[in-house]
Amino acid sequence: MKSIYKISVLIFLTTMLASCSDDDGTMELSGTGIVKIEFDNSVSGDDLILGSSYTNSQNESLTIERLNYIVSNFRLTDKDGNVFTYPKEAGYFITSEENGETEVVLMDVPAGRYTSLTFGIGVDQEKYLLGAEGQGDLLTKAESTNMMWSWQAGYKFLNFEGTFTSSTVTEATNFKIHMGSHGSSLDNYKETTLSLGSEAIVSEEMSPIIHLVANAGNILDGQNKISLSEQAVIMVSEEKSPKIAINTSGMFTVDHIHNGSGDAH
Amino acid sequence: MPIKFFRAGHALAGPIIQIKYPMKTTIYAILLTILGACNSNDSDYVALEDNKELSVTVPSNFPPMVYNVEGNPPTKHGFELGKKLFYDGKLSANGFISCGFCHEQRFSFTHHGHQFSHGIDDKEGTRNTPSLANMAFFSEFAWDGATNHLDLFPIIPITNEVEMGETMTSVLEKLKADSQYRQAFDAAFEEGGVNHENFLKAIAQFMVMMVSYNSKYDKYVRNEDDVTLTEQELIGLNIFQNKCASCHTTDLFSDGSFRNNGLPPNPKINDLGRAEVSGSTNDNYKFKVPSLRNVALTAPYMHDGRFGSLESVLNFYQNGVQDSPTLDPLLKNGDTLGIPLTNNEKQALIAFLKTLTDEEFINDERFAEY
Repeated sequence: MKSIYKISVLIFLTTMLASCSDDDGTMELSGTGIVKIEFDNSVSGDDLILGSSYTNSQNESLTIERLNYIVSNFRLTDKDGNVFTYPKEAGYFITSEENGETEVVLMDVPAGRYTSLTFGIGVDQEKYLLGAEGQGDLLTKAESTNMMWSWQAGYKFLNFEGTFTSSTVTEATNFKIHMGSHGSSLDNYKETTLSLGSEAIVSEEMSPIIHLVANAGNILDGQNKISLSEQAVIMVSEEKSPKIAINTSGMFTVDHIHNGSGDAH
Repeated sequence: MPIKFFRAGHALAGPIIQIKYPMKTTIYAILLTILGACNSNDSDYVALEDNKELSVTVPSNFPPMVYNVEGNPPTKHGFELGKKLFYDGKLSANGFISCGFCHEQRFSFTHHGHQFSHGIDDKEGTRNTPSLANMAFFSEFAWDGATNHLDLFPIIPITNEVEMGETMTSVLEKLKADSQYRQAFDAAFEEGGVNHENFLKAIAQFMVMMVSYNSKYDKYVRNEDDVTLTEQELIGLNIFQNKCASCHTTDLFSDGSFRNNGLPPNPKINDLGRAEVSGSTNDNYKFKVPSLRNVALTAPYMHDGRFGSLESVLNFYQNGVQDSPTLDPLLKNGDTLGIPLTNNEKQALIAFLKTLTDEEFINDERFAEY
């Protein structure tokens, strides 16, 4: 009888524990999963369509022909503050609107309930100074997507091009915004942290999609106002490039998260 | 050997990868063992075990080497591949302009007699070809510091439309189509293959080995072979230390900094120098202080090769320095610009500068094209 009692107590306790866990929503998640991050390029609430024009708050009308940027060093944080850092040697991605490459796929993410996402825009000096070995195939990809900055022997973090008109520039005029670090003298790599609003749940069976919206309007018309009528080609400007870097890192918001098998948007 | 390869240069974060790496290493070790076993029967194959590491010279009178040799240790086959690439016109759009076309060994790897670098289709650049001697001891490259890593430097001339006018991708395609190159890349690197990383590593290995350290001056300061300097050379050395060595520091004869030395800008070019990289007007007309090693061989002088002789250079520092907001303060003493020099002092300085010529370096067969 005694042993039966013991066993029943154990069963009871186990049930209690299990039910407690369920209530907390901390059901055991195991294994690893894939996290997809969609970079949905837009302009101030409208879908970005290359070749279409958008008017900003500075009354400049931009026809965007190219929007490519490098995103890197992804980190996912759960509600307890545990951080998963994506491996640096696989952690650099070039997104390109014209090539339709707007999704970043993070492999082998440990099971968990993640509540915030951090990533960088561009390539940090630590990575650059690893030399040939550290760049892996990023240089190859950068060259094929117009993101290699050959006369700086480095990377364009952002390549934003098209034409514009304004009250003072009435003929459609090319604009080119290339932003990156300026050799060893100015580091324009910036990171951004976004609260996911809800949980992105990762496990052996669960591979979430984090749907971000990137508001390209922010690049020139964000926290800092950059007038194309004043200067339409900005590549290495000690004053404007850091402002563009800040605007660009601030263009991302979390739109929604799909939890599930990771197939459906 | 495999362990060494994977140790190099990776900053790892996160517990997952720390587990992954040893596994990966183990797998590679197994694969290499299998490959090695297969290939021991194949006489054409250059076994990796034969790819011995080369020793890199760090002369006792030099500052420490900046280049991280452990991240890319020069090896026999890596160096040979780097040299093959260095002298191959395939790296340019028209197939004729190699690195060695402008960087000629007998002139300490400069383009003697050419004010500007010449590129494909007779195009001309706006700057004078700098020497490649002792690059592993520097942290900024090109006249304006367009890169701060030696590995990534070759991208600049290869992709410059007035120099080699190519894309890296196209160069690699040409090399991939060549079985000799495929073999050479596989022999040089444990993770073989014709790719950006191995391409840049090989050229860097070739450059890292280019250490010029056996001039008359070096032997004198190291007390080697009873070498002495003449009285005039010693006077020149003394003047140099008093009047030149605040920028041309150490036995590299450069502090690697960017400075405006007061050259009147060429109005046809108006090259802003460092400001083109930094975007800062504070850097207008600043250029990297060049090393003076083998300086007697590297005419013409200055970033734009405007001066044909050392005499003209010294005359400029005596009389030609032009004031501007970014002029280096060391060249401005009250209202006096430049460096006061008498004719005798100039003669002595030139005598001293000639002791920096390193015949062993310019005749070193390891670096020779033929």
